[in-house]
Amino acid sequence: MQVFKLCLKIIKDNIPTLMIYVVVFLGVSILATSSMSNESKEMASFTPTKTDIAFISDETGPLVDGLKEELSKVANFVEIERDTEALQDALYFRRVTYALYIPNGFTERFMGGEDVKIQKTTIPESYSSAYVDISVEKYFDLARLYLTNVENIAEEELVSKVLKDLSVTTNVELYDTRANKADTSYANFYFNYLSYSMLGVLVMGMSALMVVFSDKDIKRRNACSPISTSRINMQFILANLTFAMVTWFIMVGFCIMFNFKNSLTPATLYFVLNSFIFMICGTSLSYLIGTAVTNQEALSAVCNVVTLGPSFISGVFVPQELISQSVLRIASFTPSYWYVKANNEIAGLTSFGFEQLESVFSSILIQLGFAVAMFAVALVVAKRKRYA
Amino acid sequence: MFVHIFRYRLKCLFKDKVTIFWTMIFPLVLATFFQLALANIGNNERFSPIEVAVVNDENYNNNQIFKTVLNEVSTGEERIFNLQTVTLENAARLLQDGEIAGYMVAETPVRLVVSKSGLRQNIIKIFLDRFMQTSSAAMAVRAQDFDSIGKEVLEEVSISKAEPNIHLNYFYSLIAMACFYGSLFGLREVMEIQADNSSIAARINIAPTHKLKAFIYSMCASFFIHIVELLILLIYLILVLKVDFGARIGYVLLTTIIGSIAGVSFGAIVSALIKKKEGLKIAILITFSMVCSFLAGMMMHSIKYSVSENVPILSYLNPVNLLTDALYSLHFFDSLSRYWLNMALLTMFILVFWFGTYFIVRRRKYASI
Repeated sequence: MQVFKLCLKIIKDNIPTLMIYVVVFLGVSILATSSMSNESKEMASFTPTKTDIAFISDETGPLVDGLKEELSKVANFVEIERDTEALQDALYFRRVTYALYIPNGFTERFMGGEDVKIQKTTIPESYSSAYVDISVEKYFDLARLYLTNVENIAEEELVSKVLKDLSVTTNVELYDTRANKADTSYANFYFNYLSYSMLGVLVMGMSALMVVFSDKDIKRRNACSPISTSRINMQFILANLTFAMVTWFIMVGFCIMFNFKNSLTPATLYFVLNSFIFMICGTSLSYLIGTAVTNQEALSAVCNVVTLGPSFISGVFVPQELISQSVLRIASFTPSYWYVKANNEIAGLTSFGFEQLESVFSSILIQLGFAVAMFAVALVVAKRKRYA
Repeated sequence: MFVHIFRYRLKCLFKDKVTIFWTMIFPLVLATFFQLALANIGNNERFSPIEVAVVNDENYNNNQIFKTVLNEVSTGEERIFNLQTVTLENAARLLQDGEIAGYMVAETPVRLVVSKSGLRQNIIKIFLDRFMQTSSAAMAVRAQDFDSIGKEVLEEVSISKAEPNIHLNYFYSLIAMACFYGSLFGLREVMEIQADNSSIAARINIAPTHKLKAFIYSMCASFFIHIVELLILLIYLILVLKVDFGARIGYVLLTTIIGSIAGVSFGAIVSALIKKKEGLKIAILITFSMVCSFLAGMMMHSIKYSVSENVPILSYLNPVNLLTDALYSLHFFDSLSRYWLNMALLTMFILVFWFGTYFIVRRRKYASI
């Protein structure tokens, strides 16, 4: 086991550098995950967090007050000065994320059946402003309904009827499945993010190891040693796998530690299994990169492109649902896509029979296929380059 | 002399493939990935229909309006739902298998059963709320005339003259990042003028050329290459990826050039300040600019706002933040006062970097190297 021991020695020497990678990637993962899962919770929650809005009105009256009352279900009102500069400032620094402006004479024209508009200004990246949109539209939709169907309806009566109608809401019930009591969104994001961070650490770490062996003199010295090439390779791969496994263990461990209260579910088991398979995939990818690229400086370039690229197109940074079909089709040629897909499916499951897990397993098998394929290519490259 | 040094510096820098990769290829690649990932957001492409089920019971069959409306929104090209009409047991099973996002039971009020909260579940709830509220109103007035439903009452007014565009922020951050990757050039320039840093520098130092002149001319070459690289990035963004920077493209250009100068100079002063090996210098440079970018909200927008709210001084002392802030405010405000404030501060930083570098680099004498 000389080669194996040597590898461990090299890794040991590199521990400070590797720790930096692990810590940085872990930090980024945890920060990004908590911000993303908060954002998605905001998106998903049935009772939206109240948006801070600026409600600027040139007039008062039952119609406008009614709107304000309805809006108070989804929004907090923030007082700001009434000029463009102040409004821009408030939006810029996110004191408000939505501003409504009701012009003078709005009520009169609306009650007269005219097609009048309320002006709104939003900042694009806020999800909760959609709820404000919906509230305003609902309110005026119903008001119009009364207006066109009841002749000579008084403003007060109209408003009180609309508000009464708007108080009817759907009863939402969570289907009682004991398995899915826990919130999987944190784990889902963390494990998705892992495909970026773990790949980063693996490629960086393993390439540091392989660069040492790709030195021409050392290669020649090893080639004339009494140990057969295949044994050298096997031990080498074993060392790489050990390194990958330790990395995987640390990174997965952190997720479970940070998210312990939601981790005691069958979903966690499948997340861990999926990430383990992805780790094997990452190992053969790093092995391939390590054999194909022998220049230390080029390595970090390749590493960045290889880890960032698939993460972008296969739904690590941007959810898969939001990426266009054609891009996803390209992404399906990378293991990250299948890894993320499996994670998202696991997060959505409520029971864990074979039938439900079938497509998760097929994604996992595809990842294994990628691992084998990349490993095979790596071996071919290694053979070709042996005495080059 | 200027032409000679400038030309040879250009040749040297151009052959340094690693720096060229980080300062030009990498931002281009990132921009492409941004575009691929974001292209679909906001261009009105419809979400795929949501899988739902409705329980086929007496209530449902009696509620003719609910039936009609549900069927209406579940047919055609632009449908919201893929609807299945099933028994209660089947609905529960479908939900458990994850084949539907939720099922509806036609009671008053309608009951929605889901397995988790999510975007799709929310859309179903909003649809049902709207249905019930409208039908409650319609019943009250025995309405015949439904034409008024769905008329738009809101009108989006953008904050400034520029079109509001969610993508722009990402590309602004990208430009700021590319500017600060220019620090790798500055790092090299100092490494190759300080005799104790490299043998090339030692050779240059014994030449009869004035050191300051040699340094300034070389820096000019660095500025030149980096600005050209950024121009390529901008051209790529505008012509190939079709990013719309609005009418203020001239200001974006100016910001990019000032940003490039700031980035390169930043690399120079860091390299001059830290008298250690190249690897450590690069590590410090990257870490420092990463922290600055992080505080400027490059990874998460909210960080930028909490910094400017809680520690406003920090947002003015962070050169990366000044750069992103300048670009954002171009897009956000009609008036340019905020933009010029940022640019002025950035220029002050550049001057500080220059004088700092000058006082560290000048008049060095070495007893031994």
